[in-house]
Amino acid sequence: MSLLYEGHDIVQVYGEVQALSLPQFVLHKGEVLALTGPNGSGKSTLLRLLAFLEHPASGKLVWHGNATNPRREITLLLQEPFLLRESVYRNVTLGLTLRGVSDTRQPYKEAMLAVGFQHPDSMAGRPFHALSGGEKQRVALASRLILKPALLLLDEPTSSVDAKSARNIVAAVRECMTAGVSVVYATHDQTLLDALGGREQKLGK
Amino acid sequence: MLGVEGKTFTPLVHAADSGSMNYFSQGFAKAWELLLHMDAATVSAVQVTLGSTFCALCVSLLLGLPFGFLLGYCQFPGKRFLRLISDTLLAFPTVLIGLIVYAFITRRGPLGEFGLLFTVPGMVIGQALLALPIITSWVAQAVENLDPRCRQTLLTLGATKAQLVFLTIRELRYAVAMVGVTAFGRVVTEVGIATMLGGNIRYATRTMTTAIALETSQGEFGQGIALGLVLLLIAFIVNALLVCLKRRGRV
Repeated sequence: MSLLYEGHDIVQVYGEVQALSLPQFVLHKGEVLALTGPNGSGKSTLLRLLAFLEHPASGKLVWHGNATNPRREITLLLQEPFLLRESVYRNVTLGLTLRGVSDTRQPYKEAMLAVGFQHPDSMAGRPFHALSGGEKQRVALASRLILKPALLLLDEPTSSVDAKSARNIVAAVRECMTAGVSVVYATHDQTLLDALGGREQKLGK
Repeated sequence: MLGVEGKTFTPLVHAADSGSMNYFSQGFAKAWELLLHMDAATVSAVQVTLGSTFCALCVSLLLGLPFGFLLGYCQFPGKRFLRLISDTLLAFPTVLIGLIVYAFITRRGPLGEFGLLFTVPGMVIGQALLALPIITSWVAQAVENLDPRCRQTLLTLGATKAQLVFLTIRELRYAVAMVGVTAFGRVVTEVGIATMLGGNIRYATRTMTTAIALETSQGEFGQGIALGLVLLLIAFIVNALLVCLKRRGRV
Protein backbone atom coordinates (compact mmCIF):
# COMPACT_ATOMS: atom_id res chain seq x y z
CA MET A 1 0.00 0.00 0.00
CA SER A 2 1.30 3.43 -0.91
CA LEU A 3 1.81 6.10 1.72
CA LEU A 4 -0.99 8.66 2.03
CA TYR A 5 -0.05 10.65 5.13
CA GLU A 6 3.03 10.74 7.35
CA GLY A 7 4.14 12.85 10.26
CA HIS A 8 6.92 13.17 12.82
CA ASP A 9 7.10 14.75 16.29
CA ILE A 10 3.71 16.39 15.96
CA VAL A 11 2.90 18.73 18.82
CA GLN A 12 -0.13 20.97 19.19
CA VAL A 13 -0.47 23.57 21.92
CA TYR A 14 -3.43 25.78 22.86
CA GLY A 15 -2.24 28.63 25.08
CA GLU A 16 -0.15 26.84 27.67
CA VAL A 17 -1.89 23.49 27.32
CA GLN A 18 -0.27 20.80 25.23
CA ALA A 19 -3.18 19.12 23.46
CA LEU A 20 -1.21 16.59 21.41
CA SER A 21 2.21 15.02 21.31
CA LEU A 22 2.69 12.30 18.71
CA PRO A 23 6.16 11.02 17.80
CA GLN A 24 5.06 9.37 14.57
CA PHE A 25 2.00 9.11 12.35
CA VAL A 26 1.63 6.99 9.24
CA LEU A 27 -1.40 6.26 7.08
CA HIS A 28 -1.48 4.22 3.90
CA LYS A 29 -3.91 4.46 1.00
CA GLY A 30 -7.08 2.49 1.72
CA GLU A 31 -6.12 1.97 5.36
CA VAL A 32 -8.56 2.23 8.26
CA LEU A 33 -7.16 3.74 11.45
CA ALA A 34 -8.93 3.99 14.81
CA LEU A 35 -7.72 6.70 17.18
CA THR A 36 -8.41 5.75 20.78
CA GLY A 37 -7.46 7.17 24.13
CA PRO A 38 -8.96 8.99 27.09
CA ASN A 39 -10.65 12.41 26.93
CA GLY A 40 -8.09 15.12 26.27
CA SER A 41 -5.60 12.74 24.69
CA GLY A 42 -5.67 14.72 21.45
CA LYS A 43 -7.87 12.60 19.15
CA SER A 44 -9.96 15.54 17.91
CA THR A 45 -6.85 17.73 17.71
CA LEU A 46 -5.11 15.19 15.49
CA LEU A 47 -8.19 14.94 13.25
CA ARG A 48 -8.27 18.75 12.86
CA LEU A 49 -4.57 18.72 11.99
CA LEU A 50 -5.10 15.94 9.45
CA ALA A 51 -8.01 17.93 7.96
CA PHE A 52 -5.73 20.99 7.55
CA LEU A 53 -8.01 23.03 9.81
CA GLU A 54 -5.02 23.82 12.04
CA HIS A 55 -1.24 23.84 11.74
CA PRO A 56 0.84 21.95 14.33
CA ALA A 57 2.84 24.06 16.79
CA SER A 58 5.85 21.93 15.88
CA GLY A 59 6.62 18.80 13.90
CA LYS A 60 5.78 17.83 10.37
CA LEU A 61 2.71 16.39 8.64
CA VAL A 62 3.00 15.51 4.95
CA TRP A 63 0.05 14.70 2.69
CA HIS A 64 0.89 12.54 -0.31
CA GLY A 65 -2.36 13.11 -2.17
CA ASN A 66 -2.85 14.44 -5.70
CA ALA A 67 -4.74 17.71 -5.36
CA THR A 68 -2.99 21.04 -4.86
CA ASN A 69 -5.64 21.87 -2.24
CA PRO A 70 -5.64 18.90 0.19
CA ARG A 71 -8.94 20.11 1.69
CA ARG A 72 -10.55 18.98 -1.56
CA GLU A 73 -9.37 15.39 -0.94
CA ILE A 74 -9.79 15.18 2.82
CA THR A 75 -13.01 15.78 4.70
CA LEU A 76 -13.86 15.71 8.39
CA LEU A 77 -17.16 14.86 10.07
CA LEU A 78 -17.33 16.73 13.37
CA GLN A 79 -18.56 15.08 16.54
CA GLU A 80 -21.42 17.59 16.81
CA PRO A 81 -22.59 18.10 13.23
CA PHE A 82 -23.09 21.62 11.94
CA LEU A 83 -25.58 22.30 9.17
CA LEU A 84 -26.02 25.63 7.42
CA ARG A 85 -29.35 27.48 7.63
CA GLU A 86 -30.40 25.84 4.39
CA SER A 87 -32.40 22.88 3.15
CA VAL A 88 -31.13 19.31 3.41
CA TYR A 89 -30.46 19.31 -0.35
CA ARG A 90 -28.29 22.43 -0.21
CA ASN A 91 -26.41 21.14 2.81
CA VAL A 92 -25.65 17.79 1.21
CA THR A 93 -24.64 19.21 -2.17
CA LEU A 94 -22.74 22.27 -0.88
CA GLY A 95 -19.29 20.69 -1.31
CA LEU A 96 -20.05 19.81 -4.93
CA THR A 97 -21.39 23.31 -5.58
CA LEU A 98 -18.16 24.75 -4.16
CA ARG A 99 -16.26 22.60 -6.68
CA GLY A 100 -18.38 23.97 -9.54
CA VAL A 101 -20.41 20.79 -10.13
CA SER A 102 -23.77 21.80 -11.58
CA ASP A 103 -25.65 18.50 -11.81
CA THR A 104 -26.00 17.41 -8.20
CA ARG A 105 -29.32 15.50 -8.31
CA GLN A 106 -27.98 11.97 -8.79
CA PRO A 107 -25.00 12.29 -6.40
CA TYR A 108 -27.45 13.68 -3.81
CA LYS A 109 -29.68 10.62 -4.11
CA GLU A 110 -26.75 8.21 -3.90
CA ALA A 111 -25.25 9.90 -0.83
CA MET A 112 -28.60 10.05 0.97
CA LEU A 113 -29.35 6.39 0.21
CA ALA A 114 -25.88 5.44 1.47
CA VAL A 115 -26.60 6.96 4.90
CA GLY A 116 -29.96 5.21 5.13
CA PHE A 117 -32.53 7.75 3.92
CA GLN A 118 -34.91 5.65 1.84
CA HIS A 119 -36.70 8.63 0.27
CA PRO A 120 -34.07 11.29 -0.53
CA ASP A 121 -36.50 13.40 -2.57
CA SER A 122 -38.90 13.84 0.32
CA MET A 123 -35.98 15.00 2.52
CA ALA A 124 -34.58 17.46 -0.03
CA GLY A 125 -36.66 20.50 0.96
CA ARG A 126 -36.61 19.99 4.71
CA PRO A 127 -35.01 22.86 6.64
CA PHE A 128 -31.97 22.17 8.83
CA HIS A 129 -33.83 22.84 12.08
CA ALA A 130 -36.52 20.25 11.36
CA LEU A 131 -34.04 17.35 11.67
CA SER A 132 -33.38 15.17 14.72
CA GLY A 133 -29.84 14.77 16.08
CA GLY A 134 -29.37 11.43 14.31
CA GLU A 135 -30.74 12.80 11.03
CA LYS A 136 -28.41 15.80 11.25
CA GLN A 137 -25.40 13.53 11.70
CA ARG A 138 -26.45 11.37 8.72
CA VAL A 139 -27.07 14.45 6.53
CA ALA A 140 -23.66 15.78 7.56
CA LEU A 141 -22.08 12.42 6.67
CA ALA A 142 -23.91 12.42 3.31
CA SER A 143 -22.44 15.88 2.61
CA ARG A 144 -18.97 14.35 3.06
CA LEU A 145 -19.59 11.07 1.20
CA ILE A 146 -20.93 12.94 -1.85
CA LEU A 147 -17.40 14.41 -2.28
CA LYS A 148 -15.88 10.92 -2.72
CA PRO A 149 -12.85 11.90 -0.61
CA ALA A 150 -9.51 10.12 -0.58
CA LEU A 151 -9.48 10.37 3.21
CA LEU A 152 -12.55 10.41 5.45
CA LEU A 153 -12.01 11.65 9.00
CA LEU A 154 -14.67 10.90 11.61
CA ASP A 155 -14.73 12.38 15.11
CA GLU A 156 -16.82 10.11 17.36
CA PRO A 157 -19.41 9.72 14.60
CA THR A 158 -21.92 7.69 16.62
CA SER A 159 -21.48 9.18 20.08
CA SER A 160 -24.53 11.44 20.01
CA VAL A 161 -26.99 9.53 17.84
CA ASP A 162 -29.64 6.85 18.37
CA ALA A 163 -28.97 3.15 17.69
CA LYS A 164 -30.67 3.14 14.28
CA SER A 165 -28.73 6.18 13.06
CA ALA A 166 -25.51 4.63 14.42
CA ARG A 167 -26.17 1.46 12.36
CA ASN A 168 -26.80 3.57 9.24
CA ILE A 169 -23.59 5.53 9.81
CA VAL A 170 -21.53 2.35 10.32
CA ALA A 171 -23.02 0.81 7.15
CA ALA A 172 -22.22 3.94 5.12
CA VAL A 173 -18.64 4.11 6.40
CA ARG A 174 -18.10 0.38 5.75
CA GLU A 175 -19.34 0.90 2.17
CA CYS A 176 -16.81 3.71 1.85
CA MET A 177 -14.04 1.47 3.16
CA THR A 178 -14.97 -1.22 0.64
CA ALA A 179 -14.64 1.39 -2.12
CA GLY A 180 -11.02 1.93 -1.05
CA VAL A 181 -11.39 5.22 0.84
CA SER A 182 -8.93 5.68 3.72
CA VAL A 183 -10.73 6.25 7.02
CA VAL A 184 -9.43 7.66 10.28
CA TYR A 185 -11.92 7.73 13.12
CA ALA A 186 -11.73 8.73 16.77
CA THR A 187 -13.79 6.78 19.26
CA HIS A 188 -14.31 5.68 22.83
CA ASP A 189 -16.93 3.17 21.78
CA GLN A 190 -15.87 -0.48 21.67
CA THR A 191 -18.96 -1.32 19.58
CA LEU A 192 -17.86 1.11 16.88
CA LEU A 193 -14.32 -0.22 17.12
CA ASP A 194 -15.62 -3.76 16.58
CA ALA A 195 -17.89 -2.66 13.73
CA LEU A 196 -15.34 -0.65 11.74
CA GLY A 197 -12.13 -2.35 12.85
CA GLY A 198 -8.82 -1.21 11.37
CA ARG A 199 -5.45 -0.53 12.96
CA GLU A 200 -5.69 1.03 16.42
CA GLN A 201 -3.51 3.93 17.47
CA LYS A 202 -3.69 4.84 21.13
CA LEU A 203 -3.11 8.49 22.01
CA GLY A 204 -2.23 10.00 25.37
CA LYS A 205 -0.17 8.64 28.19
CA MET B 1 -70.67 74.27 51.70
CA LEU B 2 -68.85 71.17 50.67
CA GLY B 3 -71.93 69.91 48.95
CA VAL B 4 -72.34 73.19 47.13
CA GLU B 5 -68.70 73.27 46.20
CA GLY B 6 -68.94 69.68 45.05
CA LYS B 7 -71.95 70.46 42.90
CA THR B 8 -70.26 73.41 41.25
CA PHE B 9 -66.95 71.56 40.82
CA THR B 10 -68.26 68.41 39.18
CA PRO B 11 -69.77 70.00 36.03
CA LEU B 12 -66.53 71.92 35.53
CA VAL B 13 -64.56 68.66 35.43
CA HIS B 14 -67.03 67.21 32.94
CA ALA B 15 -66.71 70.29 30.80
CA ALA B 16 -62.93 70.01 30.82
CA ASP B 17 -63.09 66.28 29.99
CA SER B 18 -65.48 66.85 27.16
CA GLY B 19 -63.33 69.73 25.89
CA SER B 20 -60.14 67.65 25.81
CA MET B 21 -62.01 64.72 24.27
CA ASN B 22 -63.24 67.04 21.51
CA TYR B 23 -59.73 68.35 21.15
CA PHE B 24 -58.35 64.83 20.61
CA SER B 25 -61.21 63.64 18.44
CA GLN B 26 -60.88 66.74 16.26
CA GLY B 27 -57.17 66.01 15.96
CA PHE B 28 -57.82 62.43 14.89
CA ALA B 29 -60.58 63.51 12.50
CA LYS B 30 -58.22 66.02 10.89
CA ALA B 31 -55.48 63.40 10.74
CA TRP B 32 -57.83 60.92 9.05
CA GLU B 33 -58.92 63.58 6.56
CA LEU B 34 -55.30 64.48 5.72
CA LEU B 35 -54.35 60.85 5.20
CA LEU B 36 -57.49 60.05 3.22
CA HIS B 37 -57.03 62.98 0.86
CA MET B 38 -53.27 62.39 0.58
CA ASP B 39 -52.46 65.89 1.82
CA ALA B 40 -49.43 67.15 -0.13
CA ALA B 41 -47.45 68.29 2.93
CA THR B 42 -48.06 65.02 4.75
CA VAL B 43 -47.16 62.91 1.70
CA SER B 44 -44.02 65.01 1.15
CA ALA B 45 -42.89 64.49 4.77
CA VAL B 46 -43.45 60.73 4.46
CA GLN B 47 -41.55 60.63 1.15
CA VAL B 48 -38.61 62.65 2.46
CA THR B 49 -38.40 60.52 5.61
CA LEU B 50 -38.50 57.19 3.79
CA GLY B 51 -36.21 58.38 0.99
CA SER B 52 -33.51 59.81 3.26
CA THR B 53 -33.70 56.83 5.64
CA PHE B 54 -33.38 54.35 2.77
CA CYS B 55 -30.37 56.20 1.29
CA ALA B 56 -28.69 56.52 4.70
CA LEU B 57 -29.24 52.82 5.33
CA CYS B 58 -27.72 51.88 1.95
CA VAL B 59 -24.62 53.98 2.62
CA SER B 60 -24.18 52.67 6.17
CA LEU B 61 -24.70 49.04 5.07
CA LEU B 62 -22.18 49.47 2.29
CA LEU B 63 -19.56 50.72 4.76
CA GLY B 64 -20.64 49.01 7.98
CA LEU B 65 -21.14 45.47 6.68
CA PRO B 66 -17.54 44.83 5.53
CA PHE B 67 -16.10 46.79 8.44
CA GLY B 68 -18.25 44.90 10.95
CA PHE B 69 -17.29 41.60 9.31
CA LEU B 70 -13.59 42.46 9.56
CA LEU B 71 -13.99 43.51 13.21
CA GLY B 72 -15.77 40.27 14.08
CA TYR B 73 -13.86 37.81 11.90
CA CYS B 74 -10.24 38.91 11.69
CA GLN B 75 -7.56 39.26 14.33
CA PHE B 76 -5.37 42.35 14.04
CA PRO B 77 -3.64 44.83 16.36
CA GLY B 78 -5.98 47.58 17.55
CA LYS B 79 -9.11 45.50 16.93
CA ARG B 80 -10.34 45.83 20.53
CA PHE B 81 -9.82 49.60 20.46
CA LEU B 82 -11.77 49.93 17.19
CA ARG B 83 -14.54 47.79 18.65
CA LEU B 84 -14.63 49.98 21.75
CA ILE B 85 -14.96 53.11 19.60
CA SER B 86 -17.71 51.56 17.51
CA ASP B 87 -19.59 50.45 20.64
CA THR B 88 -19.19 53.91 22.22
CA LEU B 89 -20.59 55.55 19.09
CA LEU B 90 -23.79 53.54 19.57
CA ALA B 91 -24.70 56.04 22.28
CA PHE B 92 -23.76 59.10 20.19
CA PRO B 93 -26.46 61.78 20.67
CA THR B 94 -28.13 62.67 17.38
CA VAL B 95 -27.78 66.41 17.99
CA LEU B 96 -24.03 65.96 18.40
CA ILE B 97 -23.87 64.11 15.06
CA GLY B 98 -25.94 66.95 13.64
CA LEU B 99 -23.53 69.51 15.09
CA ILE B 100 -20.41 67.78 13.74
CA VAL B 101 -21.82 67.27 10.24
CA TYR B 102 -23.16 70.84 10.34
CA ALA B 103 -19.63 72.11 11.03
CA PHE B 104 -18.39 70.23 7.97
CA ILE B 105 -21.12 71.12 5.48
CA THR B 106 -21.91 74.68 6.51
CA ARG B 107 -20.81 77.30 3.99
CA ARG B 108 -17.65 78.05 6.01
CA GLY B 109 -16.90 74.35 6.61
CA PRO B 110 -14.50 72.13 4.64
CA LEU B 111 -17.37 70.69 2.54
CA GLY B 112 -19.22 74.00 2.29
CA GLU B 113 -18.67 74.36 -1.45
CA PHE B 114 -20.98 71.38 -2.13
CA GLY B 115 -23.99 73.22 -0.71
CA LEU B 116 -25.21 70.24 1.31
CA LEU B 117 -26.63 72.13 4.28
CA PHE B 118 -30.43 72.07 4.46
CA THR B 119 -30.65 69.47 1.72
CA VAL B 120 -31.71 65.82 1.76
CA PRO B 121 -28.16 64.60 0.91
CA GLY B 122 -26.89 66.59 3.91
CA MET B 123 -29.44 64.82 6.12
CA VAL B 124 -28.44 61.48 4.60
CA ILE B 125 -24.79 62.03 5.65
CA GLY B 126 -25.83 62.59 9.27
CA GLN B 127 -28.31 59.70 9.29
CA ALA B 128 -25.73 57.37 7.75
CA LEU B 129 -23.30 58.33 10.52
CA LEU B 130 -26.02 57.51 13.04
CA ALA B 131 -26.66 54.06 11.52
CA LEU B 132 -23.00 53.18 10.84
CA PRO B 133 -21.95 52.22 14.40
CA ILE B 134 -25.18 50.25 14.87
CA ILE B 135 -24.48 48.19 11.77
CA THR B 136 -20.71 47.86 12.40
CA SER B 137 -20.97 46.83 16.05
CA TRP B 138 -23.91 44.49 15.66
CA VAL B 139 -22.58 42.80 12.54
CA ALA B 140 -19.24 42.30 14.37
CA GLN B 141 -21.17 40.83 17.30
CA ALA B 142 -23.15 38.52 15.00
CA VAL B 143 -19.91 37.30 13.36
CA GLU B 144 -18.31 36.70 16.77
CA ASN B 145 -21.36 34.77 17.93
CA LEU B 146 -21.31 32.54 14.87
CA ASP B 147 -20.75 28.88 15.71
CA PRO B 148 -17.02 28.09 15.18
CA ARG B 149 -18.08 24.79 13.59
CA CYS B 150 -19.46 26.82 10.66
CA ARG B 151 -15.94 27.80 9.54
CA GLN B 152 -14.60 24.28 10.15
CA THR B 153 -17.46 22.70 8.22
CA LEU B 154 -17.08 25.05 5.25
CA LEU B 155 -13.32 24.46 5.12
CA THR B 156 -13.68 20.72 5.37
CA LEU B 157 -16.19 20.81 2.51
CA GLY B 158 -13.45 22.42 0.42
CA ALA B 159 -14.39 26.12 0.51
CA THR B 160 -11.76 28.56 -0.76
CA LYS B 161 -11.10 31.79 1.20
CA ALA B 162 -13.49 33.81 -0.98
CA GLN B 163 -16.18 31.11 -0.75
CA LEU B 164 -15.68 31.00 3.03
CA VAL B 165 -16.32 34.76 3.37
CA PHE B 166 -19.32 34.66 1.03
CA LEU B 167 -20.92 31.66 2.74
CA THR B 168 -20.28 33.06 6.23
CA ILE B 169 -22.09 36.28 5.28
CA ARG B 170 -24.86 34.21 3.72
CA GLU B 171 -25.13 32.19 6.93
CA LEU B 172 -25.51 35.47 8.82
CA ARG B 173 -28.14 36.86 6.44
CA TYR B 174 -30.99 36.87 8.98
CA ALA B 175 -28.82 38.48 11.64
CA VAL B 176 -27.63 41.13 9.13
CA ALA B 177 -31.21 41.78 8.02
CA MET B 178 -32.22 42.23 11.66
CA VAL B 179 -29.39 44.72 12.15
CA GLY B 180 -30.56 46.60 9.04
CA VAL B 181 -34.16 46.72 10.26
CA THR B 182 -33.05 47.93 13.70
CA ALA B 183 -30.90 50.67 12.15
CA PHE B 184 -33.84 51.66 9.92
CA GLY B 185 -36.05 51.99 13.01
CA ARG B 186 -33.45 54.16 14.73
CA VAL B 187 -32.94 56.49 11.74
CA VAL B 188 -36.58 56.85 10.74
CA THR B 189 -37.56 58.09 14.21
CA GLU B 190 -34.66 60.49 14.87
CA VAL B 191 -35.33 64.21 14.94
CA GLY B 192 -32.06 65.98 15.90
CA ILE B 193 -30.12 65.34 12.68
CA ALA B 194 -33.10 66.04 10.44
CA THR B 195 -33.73 69.37 12.15
CA MET B 196 -30.11 70.56 12.22
CA LEU B 197 -29.02 69.40 8.78
CA GLY B 198 -32.34 69.48 6.92
CA GLY B 199 -33.61 72.74 8.31
CA ASN B 200 -37.23 71.49 8.34
CA ILE B 201 -38.06 73.09 4.97
CA ARG B 202 -41.60 72.30 3.83
CA TYR B 203 -41.84 70.11 0.71
CA ALA B 204 -38.04 69.81 0.69
CA THR B 205 -36.40 68.51 3.87
CA ARG B 206 -39.30 68.27 6.31
CA THR B 207 -39.48 64.76 7.70
CA MET B 208 -42.26 63.15 9.70
CA THR B 209 -40.53 63.71 13.04
CA THR B 210 -39.58 67.35 12.39
CA ALA B 211 -43.09 68.02 11.05
CA ILE B 212 -44.69 66.52 14.16
CA ALA B 213 -42.51 68.72 16.38
CA LEU B 214 -43.30 71.84 14.36
CA GLU B 215 -47.02 71.26 13.89
CA THR B 216 -47.47 70.45 17.58
CA SER B 217 -45.65 73.61 18.63
CA GLN B 218 -48.02 75.56 16.36
CA GLY B 219 -51.12 73.87 17.80
CA GLU B 220 -51.81 71.95 14.54
CA PHE B 221 -52.47 68.60 16.12
CA GLY B 222 -54.19 67.15 13.06
CA GLN B 223 -51.11 66.89 10.91
CA GLY B 224 -49.00 65.90 13.89
CA ILE B 225 -51.34 63.01 14.68
CA ALA B 226 -51.57 62.02 11.00
CA LEU B 227 -47.79 61.78 10.73
CA GLY B 228 -47.62 60.08 14.12
CA LEU B 229 -50.02 57.42 12.85
CA VAL B 230 -47.85 56.85 9.77
CA LEU B 231 -44.75 56.58 12.00
CA LEU B 232 -46.59 54.10 14.22
CA LEU B 233 -47.55 52.07 11.15
CA ILE B 234 -43.90 52.04 10.02
CA ALA B 235 -42.78 51.01 13.53
CA PHE B 236 -45.35 48.19 13.43
CA ILE B 237 -44.14 46.99 10.02
CA VAL B 238 -40.50 47.16 11.17
CA ASN B 239 -41.28 45.13 14.29
CA ALA B 240 -43.36 42.60 12.33
CA LEU B 241 -40.37 42.22 10.00
CA LEU B 242 -38.07 41.66 12.97
CA VAL B 243 -40.36 38.95 14.40
CA CYS B 244 -40.50 37.31 10.96
CA LEU B 245 -36.70 37.37 10.62
CA LYS B 246 -36.24 35.96 14.13
CA ARG B 247 -38.57 33.09 13.30
CA ARG B 248 -37.02 32.33 9.91
CA GLY B 249 -33.42 32.58 11.02
CA ARG B 250 -33.91 31.36 14.62
CA VAL B 251 -31.40 33.98 15.68
